[in-house]
Amino acid sequence: MEIMTRDFGRLEIDQSDIITFDSGLPGFENLEEFILLPLADESPFIIMQSVKDPDIAFVTVEPGNLIQNYEFEINDKTEKELKIESISNILILNIITLKDKMKDSTANLSAPIVINLEEKLGKQVILDDHRYQVRYKIFGATEEVAE
Amino acid sequence: MLILSRKLNEKIIIDDRIEVTVVGIENGKVQLGIEAPKEIEIMRKELLEDVKEENQKAVKNKKLLDELNNIKFDL
Repeated sequence: MEIMTRDFGRLEIDQSDIITFDSGLPGFENLEEFILLPLADESPFIIMQSVKDPDIAFVTVEPGNLIQNYEFEINDKTEKELKIESISNILILNIITLKDKMKDSTANLSAPIVINLEEKLGKQVILDDHRYQVRYKIFGATEEVAE
Repeated sequence: MLILSRKLNEKIIIDDRIEVTVVGIENGKVQLGIEAPKEIEIMRKELLEDVKEENQKAVKNKKLLDELNNIKFDL
């Protein structure tokens, strides 16, 4: 099927690649279908594009790129909803909020997106964990980006 | 909205399976102990609101995507 994307124009996608979020995402409860599109070859960033709404796309990244030892428990409810049977097919992504100054950009470590790649089911879970912030500065103190 | 008045250590029961106990009252802060089946998700409401707001902000700023192309992480 063909969809319109925010960042890549019209794209032909495979229906079987669509990830279903049964209850949408907080703030986007009506958007249940997303597709994962790598930003570019070799880039750690993945665009999570709504299938239905071309304007809605999240920049995401796997947490291993941001911090070490990111850990949380997937509760029974989520496990059931996402039909998780083993962790081998689980993809964890964190949503990035880009700021006008790139170095101020943040990642939401408090609400990771959990995707069961096998079943193509996803959910943004909310961790009530003081270690993980909603707005974690991804470039911290390091100056990786030229201003 | 149902309003109940409870003292320290008193409880309320919701739907026969969720038990909320007032475990502390101090300086305008109430501490609640909640016992509920595992499938019940419990979180502070402001955290959910915060995540909603952040999600809505996250879809807005796309002009920096080209810049992102050049970023790689060290970790």
